[in-house]
Amino acid sequence: MRPPAVGFAGLTHLGLVSAAAAASTGAPVVGWDPDAGRVDAIAGGRLPVAEPGLEALLDAHGARLAWSRDAAALARCDIIYIAADVPTDGTGASDLREIAGLIAAVIAAAPAVRALVVLSQVPPGFTRAVPFASDRLFCQVETLVFGRAVERATRPERFIVGMAEPRSALPEPYALFLREFGCPIVQVRYESAELAKIAINCYLAASVTVTNMLAELSERIGADWQEIVPALRLDRRIGPDAYVVPGLGLSGGNIERDLATVLGLAGAAGAEAAPIRAMLRSSERRSDWALRMLHAGVLAARPDAVIGILGLAYKQNTRSTKNSPALALLRHLTPWRVRVYDPVVPAAEVEHPRAVAAPSALAAAAGADAVAIMTPWPEFRDLSAPALAAVMAGRTVLDPYGVLDPGAAAAAGLEYSTLGAPPAPAAERRP
Amino acid sequence: MLEHLRTPVSPERVVVVGAGGFVGGSIMRRLAADGVPSLAVTRRELDLLDAGAGRSLAALLRPSDSVVLVSAVAPARTAAHVTQNLRMAEAWADAFAAAPVAHVVYISSDAVYADGDGLVSETSCAQPSSLHGVMHLAREVMLSAALKAPLAVLRPSLLYGPGDPHNSYGPNRFRRLAAGGEPIVLFGEGEEQRDHVWIEDVGSIVGLTLAHRSRGVLNVATGSSVSFRRAAELVARLASRPAVIRGTPRQSPIVHRHFDVTACVKAFPAFHYVPLEEGLRRTVRAETADGAPAR
Repeated sequence: MRPPAVGFAGLTHLGLVSAAAAASTGAPVVGWDPDAGRVDAIAGGRLPVAEPGLEALLDAHGARLAWSRDAAALARCDIIYIAADVPTDGTGASDLREIAGLIAAVIAAAPAVRALVVLSQVPPGFTRAVPFASDRLFCQVETLVFGRAVERATRPERFIVGMAEPRSALPEPYALFLREFGCPIVQVRYESAELAKIAINCYLAASVTVTNMLAELSERIGADWQEIVPALRLDRRIGPDAYVVPGLGLSGGNIERDLATVLGLAGAAGAEAAPIRAMLRSSERRSDWALRMLHAGVLAARPDAVIGILGLAYKQNTRSTKNSPALALLRHLTPWRVRVYDPVVPAAEVEHPRAVAAPSALAAAAGADAVAIMTPWPEFRDLSAPALAAVMAGRTVLDPYGVLDPGAAAAAGLEYSTLGAPPAPAAERRP
Repeated sequence: MLEHLRTPVSPERVVVVGAGGFVGGSIMRRLAADGVPSLAVTRRELDLLDAGAGRSLAALLRPSDSVVLVSAVAPARTAAHVTQNLRMAEAWADAFAAAPVAHVVYISSDAVYADGDGLVSETSCAQPSSLHGVMHLAREVMLSAALKAPLAVLRPSLLYGPGDPHNSYGPNRFRRLAAGGEPIVLFGEGEEQRDHVWIEDVGSIVGLTLAHRSRGVLNVATGSSVSFRRAAELVARLASRPAVIRGTPRQSPIVHRHFDVTACVKAFPAFHYVPLEEGLRRTVRAETADGAPAR
């Protein structure tokens, strides 16, 4: 039996990674996007996203991948995914207009497609309202994680498929395609699938919130959260992959979007959503950790301070700066001079009147009174504390994600602070 | 949270209503130090409880004025106090209806927040448990409803400094007790933690709020709470004669209050509060220089 042909409409992060993963199963894949410039860039090997393993995956399966500026190219597909990322505003509210436009274009171009699948992040009720034959209309929960998207797309834990009649069989090409991934397929009604995606993110947000709350408490009462983490991971009820590493609140936009959706749904339905509001408050407070630490440690005493910012992306291995803690910090450091460096994100994305782009991490730290390592890029783990101390003018190092060794930092004379532990004073001071 | 002009602009003139009090005095000193033209309105010039007080105040105002509202019967402990304070706010509203101004700053209180509700920020629930808090919250809402001009509401925590006419539980009372050779008596062992603000910092925050034409809510708090015992110990250390600190059997549960001051850091990044120990030292110095003993 020939493998089903799979189409993807919308070639931003979700669509591009999903298309590459589909091709890796041996299926012929067509990728279409109404943005001709984006299509040409992808066809020319210039990817709009930084994602570990994506280039290699596309190279390995390029023979089965066709990129098109024309929606008509989708007409030969057995399955078409609506796969554009849903943009959100500052409050996490979704803008679904682009998705609606894509769906209309796809239905016009391929009215006989065997399975039209909404993969984009849509709120409950969206899929059922799509004007298409319900026995060929589906939604599928995506669980893309920035920085681990290829792994998640090629080796999914399970598929959650929303459909009009959950007890009926999936169209053969769609079932055949999903079975190639060798994981369970959970069939539920549309609304359950749409809410399942949101539920997953709510659980993750709850874990993040509890972790960050207890990490702050650790900082204040002399506990070290890192010592607690292994014990939590060994607890079956919490689990080895639980979100127990402290961070600077929620970022990236996806979890925030789902929390905003729950608030909207609960408000309209008369359901209680106080925990969601608490999660958002906690996230906001935690996101300003570095700002408070800089004021307490340096800025209150040094109106002429220079701050080095290492990392601009919202997390490592991504180019995304959506809700990036580094950019948020920089917006509130305008009275001070800053030196910035990120391995991927250009310094031009920084809105700061006194920002200087540095060519390397050490160059960003040179002459700085304080350094904040705001993204845990792997290359920052290679920074040597003595080298950092040698080029800095001051002693303060904020390392929220713990990329440096605290002992080495203290030994190098640095005053070191990380999430989840009390600030560590320098073991020695330069004369 | 405050929204405001990024680049400060000196106000044309600032009218301080309630300029004769503890807080009003600090604001007048700040304006004078910054060279900002000002008009001090005290109860001598205008009693806000008089009939027609709104008209009288309106007659003093110009369209380009910034106005700081400080007057209050404080602390408001009775229903009559609340009523008087609301009548003052009614006079302000009448005045602004007759004579619109450019900007208004209202000095409220952290008493508007619910007790024991965790870390307090500007987005915390305003659910006062005292008449004093109810009064301030009602005045905030009255002003917000009456004004077309931008309104900044500042909610100070506990204030201390030279010249405080109040004798509430805290550093000011502790100083008076120590100066008088009396023991500093704590509620329980003085475990409750509070955020104490040096009075001159209120003047500084008001000055910044005026210069930035800020609108919204900002707490006036240092972000560093200490126990009443710790405050008593600092006072005792600075006292001119040995001071005894004495605990008493606890009558009520311990309720702390801590502030998240990130909004202030973002609004006024170059401003930093005076720590309690330094503020107490300055208080002692100021009173010594004035020859005015702590009352």
